[in-house]
Order: sequence, then structure tokens, then C-alpha cells
Amino acid sequence: MDFRFEIITEYMPFFLEGMMLTILLSVVGVLVGCILGFFIALGKMSPVLLIRFPFTWYINFLRGTPLLVQLFLFHYAVLPALLGDTTAVTSVIVTLSLNSSAYVAEIFRAGLQSIDKGQSEAAHSLGMNKFQVMRYVLLPQAFKRSIPPLGNEFIVLLKDSSLGAMIAAPELLYWGRAAASQYLRVWEPYLMVALIYLVLTLSLTYLLNYLERRFDVK
Amino acid sequence: MITVKHLKKTFGDLEVLKDINVEIKQKEVVVVIGPSGSGKSTFLRCLNLIESVTDGTVTIDGQEITDKKMDINKLRAEVGMVFQQFNLFPHKTVLQNITLPMITVRKWKKQDAEAKAMELLAKVGLQDKASVYPDSLSGGQKQRVAIARALGMEPKIMLFDEPTSALDPEMVGEVLEVMKQLAKEGMTMVVVTHEMGFAREVGDRVIFMDDGYVVEENEPIALFQNPQHERTKAFLSKVL
Ligand SMILES: Nc1ncnc2c1ncn2[C@@H]1O[C@H](COP(=O)(O)OP(=O)(O)OP(=O)(O)O)[C@@H](O)[C@H]1O
Ligand SMILES: [Mg+2]
Repeated sequence: MDFRFEIITEYMPFFLEGMMLTILLSVVGVLVGCILGFFIALGKMSPVLLIRFPFTWYINFLRGTPLLVQLFLFHYAVLPALLGDTTAVTSVIVTLSLNSSAYVAEIFRAGLQSIDKGQSEAAHSLGMNKFQVMRYVLLPQAFKRSIPPLGNEFIVLLKDSSLGAMIAAPELLYWGRAAASQYLRVWEPYLMVALIYLVLTLSLTYLLNYLERRFDVK
Repeated sequence: MITVKHLKKTFGDLEVLKDINVEIKQKEVVVVIGPSGSGKSTFLRCLNLIESVTDGTVTIDGQEITDKKMDINKLRAEVGMVFQQFNLFPHKTVLQNITLPMITVRKWKKQDAEAKAMELLAKVGLQDKASVYPDSLSGGQKQRVAIARALGMEPKIMLFDEPTSALDPEMVGEVLEVMKQLAKEGMTMVVVTHEMGFAREVGDRVIFMDDGYVVEENEPIALFQNPQHERTKAFLSKVL
């Protein structure tokens, strides 16, 4: 079998462009997911059943259905109905953000609930109110414990952003498919695309390991 | 200073406190003893509303704290509590552990809070540990920091729930020493403990609890040497 390197060289600028979009999609997805996920975690921990209920089902739906189905649903149905129109990139960002918010919410909830009850009791016994206990005692500890699983979520999201290719969002895999169909070759473009994903996820792993060490102040 | 009337506490079907009536005067040191599960911790936790009260009233300094309209955060700042498991904040240094509530609850300026915290650390003999994290302290040191942290709020009353039970024997003394000092300075204290020596030496009164009731209370010597109830006798024969 001959390996046609010139396909890779020719498509390299597009692969890099796609890579940038892949990074953008997953970074925005994980950031928005963290912000939303935080409030969803609080909602799901509410002692009031009526408040808890919608958050529980939000999480159930987003974790219990395939991401690709969610993407189609948002791209072809929900977003056009809400906005009148949508682009592939918008749809991917919205879907990834919402999807990761459900996972992040569970990560934060687990983090908060793993903190010993004595911590909030001690803080309350000193006269701190609910907000202060959350802000100064529980969240910093829960956040630190959430870094490793959040890192995993980031990596999963980065790989899942490749589903954007299914609605022609010009991210990394999209350009791999473009090269494959132009040259009717599968090895070169898909190996290259896989390699770039691997470089991204490994760099991310190293970055996260570094952060974990940095935040481990003790 | 503290008046407890017909205090009841239930967890679901479990009646933990059945009918507690206690009166504690200013500057008094009251030691609470009793078998495991008798409700000692629950009683203490009701005094600063970490546990909600099912029925009855608790009045502190003329204020009925069990009144629903009461600002509990304000009350809790006046009642310090020290736990068996220390419950220091692991992500904060020793100094920050003490200054955090002073700054957030009392609204002290940071420098003032730090100066006061250093004073308190000196008082418990740990000024050289101000900038370390709790993880690097021994159990006895942690408990002394926890006491300093509670004192930072300038409480009127200090509650201690088995403050030395989680400590290695050689560290019990240093914590009891700090508590004795506090008692000498006139702090009103309620102490759940198995340290009968401490009860005898420092306690003004000992309360014996069993099965959700106060069975008997008296001055330490009188209670230890001349218990009136069978249950008190049975318990004391095991621990003395
Ligand atoms: N949050 C809770 N929910 C349900 N039951 C509880 C709770 N807290 C305490 N109990 C129960 O209440 C009873 C009294 O507990 P408490 O901790 O007050 O006893 P104690 O006298 O402090 O015992 P020990 O000497 O073991 O500390 C126990 O049977 C305990 O299982
Ligand atoms: Mg107890």
C-alpha cells in the first residue's frame, strides 16, 4: 500500500483551521457547561422537591440520550424554532454546552456532597450564613476535588465535538471527511485527524496534571 | 445565662431528647456525662441550633433562641462550639481559619483580625504555626486552633463536644490545660467529656444524662461520691 503524504500536506491548513474550531467548541462548551452546571447542581440539591424535579430531569435527559440525537434535535428543531435560524457552529456550541452542563452538575454535586458534614457545621457554628459557608468553606474544597473529573469531562467533550461533522460544522473531523471524499482515500485523512485529536487530548492531560499539582496547596 | 425548658428532639421516630430542663448560670462550667447514645451531643447541638429543636424552649441571655423569628446566625456567633473531630478548614492556613469568621461574620478589618488571631494563637501556645495548614498539625494542636477560632468570635458561651476523645492520650493534657485557663477567666462552658478528672477539677456542676433525660445533677464531688440514682451508680462504676 502506498501512503500519499501529499494529501495530508495539501489539507494541513484546513486540518489546523478545523483544529482551532474544535478547540473553540470544546473550550466554550466546557466553560458554559461549568457555569450552567454549577447552578444546576445547586438546583438539584434543593431540599424542595418541586425545585429539584426539573433539574433532575434536565440531567436525566441530557445524560440519558445520545449526544448525536441531541445535536440533531437542536440543529434541526429546537434552535430553528427558537431563533428562526441557526448555523452549524451555533448548534454545536449550544448542544455541547447543555450536554456538558449536565455532567458538570453531577461532578459539582458529588464534590459538594463529598465534603464532610463537620465542615459546614463548624462554619455555621461560627455564625456564617448559608452563602458564606458555600462561598468560603464548601466551594473551594469541592472545586479542588472536582478538578480531575472536570478534566475528564473536558477531554470527553473535545472528542465529542467531532459529532459536529455530522451537521457540517467545519471542525477537525469535517475536514478529514472532506479530504477522504475528494481523494477517495481513507487512511491518510483519518489517521491524521486521529493523530491531531491525540495530540490535543494528551496536551490537555498534561495541562490538567499540572493544574492538579498547582491547586494541591497542602 | 442559659435556660432549657422541656426540650425535646426527635429524629423521625427516634426520640433522642425527651424532656430536658437545665439552667446554666454565667461563668459556670457544666460537665455533661452519660452513656453513648444518651443524647449528649444532640443536647449540645440544640444549644446553638445546629440541630433544630422539636419542642420546648432554649433561652440564652434573655433571648429565646427557639423563637422562629430569631436570627440564628447572630446567635451562633455568640455561642462557640468545639467538636470532637476539630473541623478545621483544610484549605485555609491556621491564621486564616481564625480570621475567616472574624472577617466575614464580625466584619473586622483584615489587619485587626490578624492581630487578634495572633493574640489567640499565643494564648493557646501556637503562634509559630500561624502560616501552616491544619494537615501538618498534631491532633492536640488542631484542637487548640479550633478553640482559638471559636474564641475569635468573642462568644459568651463555649460548648465542647468530647474535645479530647479523638486525641492520642499524650495530647489530652494540652487541650484540657487551655480549657482550664478559659474556665479560670470566667467563660461560661458546657462540656461533654469522659475526662472525670477535668470534671472534678474544673466543673461547677455535673449533669448525668441517660436515655434522653437528665437523670441527676450535682456538684462533681457530691455526684461522684454519692450518686442518688441506680443508673448514675451503674454508669459511674464503669468510668471511675
Ligand atoms: N442526625 C441524626 N439522625 C438520626 N439519628 C441521630 C442523628 N444524630 C443522632 N442520632 C441518634 O440520636 C441518639 C443520640 O445521639 P447523640 O450523638 O446525641 O448521643 P451521645 O450521647 O452524644 O453519644 P456518644 O457518647 O456516642 O457521642 C443516637 O441513638 C443516635 O444514633
Ligand atoms: Mg456525642
